Amino acid sequence: MSNSPLGQECLRQLMQQWFDFERRLNRVPLIRRLEAGQFTVEDYRNLLRNHRQQVIEGSRWISRCASSFDRDYSDLRSVVIGHATEEHRDYEILEQDYVAAGGKLDDILQARRNAGTEALHAFLMYRASQPNPVDMIGAMWIIEGLGQKMAAGWADRIEDCCAGPGVTTRFMRYHGDNDEEHLEKLYSMIDRACRTEEDLYDIIRTAKVTGRLYCMQLEEVDND
Amino acid sequence: MNVYITSTGSHLPGPPIDNEQIENHLGFIGGRPSRLKKRILRSNGITRRHYAIDAAHNTLISNDEMAARAAAQCIEESGVPVQRIGMLSCATSQGDLVLPGFGSMVQAQLGLSEVELHTSHGICSSSMMALKAAYTSLRCEEQDTALVIASELASRLFKASRYEAAGLEETLDFNAEFLRWMLSDGAGALLLERQPRGQCFRIDWIRGFSHADAYPVCMSVGKPADGTDGRTWQDFPTYAAAEAAGALLIRQDVRLLDNIVKMGVDGFLRLIEEGLVAVEEVDHVLCHFSSHHFKSHIFGMLKRAGAAIPEEKWYTNLYTRGNTGCASLFIMLDEFRRTRQLRAGEQIICMVPESGRFNTVYMALTVTGNKS
Repeated sequence: MSNSPLGQECLRQLMQQWFDFERRLNRVPLIRRLEAGQFTVEDYRNLLRNHRQQVIEGSRWISRCASSFDRDYSDLRSVVIGHATEEHRDYEILEQDYVAAGGKLDDILQARRNAGTEALHAFLMYRASQPNPVDMIGAMWIIEGLGQKMAAGWADRIEDCCAGPGVTTRFMRYHGDNDEEHLEKLYSMIDRACRTEEDLYDIIRTAKVTGRLYCMQLEEVDND
Repeated sequence: MNVYITSTGSHLPGPPIDNEQIENHLGFIGGRPSRLKKRILRSNGITRRHYAIDAAHNTLISNDEMAARAAAQCIEESGVPVQRIGMLSCATSQGDLVLPGFGSMVQAQLGLSEVELHTSHGICSSSMMALKAAYTSLRCEEQDTALVIASELASRLFKASRYEAAGLEETLDFNAEFLRWMLSDGAGALLLERQPRGQCFRIDWIRGFSHADAYPVCMSVGKPADGTDGRTWQDFPTYAAAEAAGALLIRQDVRLLDNIVKMGVDGFLRLIEEGLVAVEEVDHVLCHFSSHHFKSHIFGMLKRAGAAIPEEKWYTNLYTRGNTGCASLFIMLDEFRRTRQLRAGEQIICMVPESGRFNTVYMALTVTGNKS
């Protein structure tokens, strides 16, 4: 539980950013189809193929973020390193789901980043490269929250819509199990990361930009 | 210009029906007891409710009559002459007639002459929309006195024969059954004036946030059981065909329900940010949470955000009066006013999160004057 008044303010604003992000996600055509039960196996394959690039890049910006914390923030650095280690091979499970859904391994291995992934990755690498990038808590808030949403909602929806031999949602489910713990860690990191009004502004702005670019990445799945 | 709620009234039809009697009253679908009833009742925490239909499914009192009874109590206790009421603003999910508007029928029941009329249509939040319409009319000084009534007669939807007509004896799904053990009947009325009268409530603000553009339909009547069938009830060649397709049943997409908790918290945080709500200054919270299950969720989220209001400040009569949809908040406010010793200056926050397609409405009241 977050205790400092600034930490609580930060958490309130992060929650609002999350609610806004969820509404924006629901307006993305691909997700609208998912929520309306009109999602197809092809949609699922496209989603996984596009998502893989972000998962791979994810371990890079988290590692970069860890290395940008100096000795005054070694405690935060440790948490972020732990996080990076747990997730850096996640994409292999995702590839297996792709093949199980009828995709060719070569196709997903050779897929390029879509326009939204390019923008999201560039922004996150840029922010993670700043000295002591406490605002990356805002990015993790959005991305971890989405992991939980995938596990708690999307995986079931996908299985309902794409019921067929072999369709698996192991990546989404596995990812969500871990993200519950990650979110708990994030809660406890907020007081530590948010100590000034400037920190608060940066954290919320980074959460906001991350959410916007994430939606763009999902919009681009249909344009890929 | 201030606006005050100077009187309240309510009507709950018939005797209270407890959890043991409920299925005898609504009927056994296909002659068999429900497998889900206990689970749903445990989750919503409701122990008693009222129905306007009897166990033989005769309607003993109509929706507009219930509205009129709640209004009659409200007017009588206020001492305000009926002729002074310049506006009637009504809400319901389903009137007795499909057309005309519910307000016209209630006006005729009450014998109110030459009022300005408003009917708001929707589900739980429609009462707050009706209230806001009346509130703004008084605020801008177009009216001096308004009567606002919300009334629901949902039980007619829950007769066992309705589900049998849709051929669901064997295959009744959770979404179609969920509300059967949730909603019940009743009416509540509020009188609005521009001058305070005895101990009353000043309306400080009413604000709503609707998110229909971002979420699918969560609670509905009119969609067939087959989710891939895009038709709505009037698109079928006959009403009998629509009923057979399950398009006249009330449904809740329970998968989407958690969003109402989030939207409820989201609106609350916005109001804090705007400076309209200061958590430490709130003395009472009257929240129309549709079931006990959601109360703990809303609570947990607000606590985490440092925006929690202590549990002892939360008031509800959901468990003993039932979930009466749009009438709930008015019935709650009526009982709250009658049973609580209130002090001038106390602040009350009312919340009505509606799951229909995610509309959340909030209101702040300040207790004015003392009990005579």
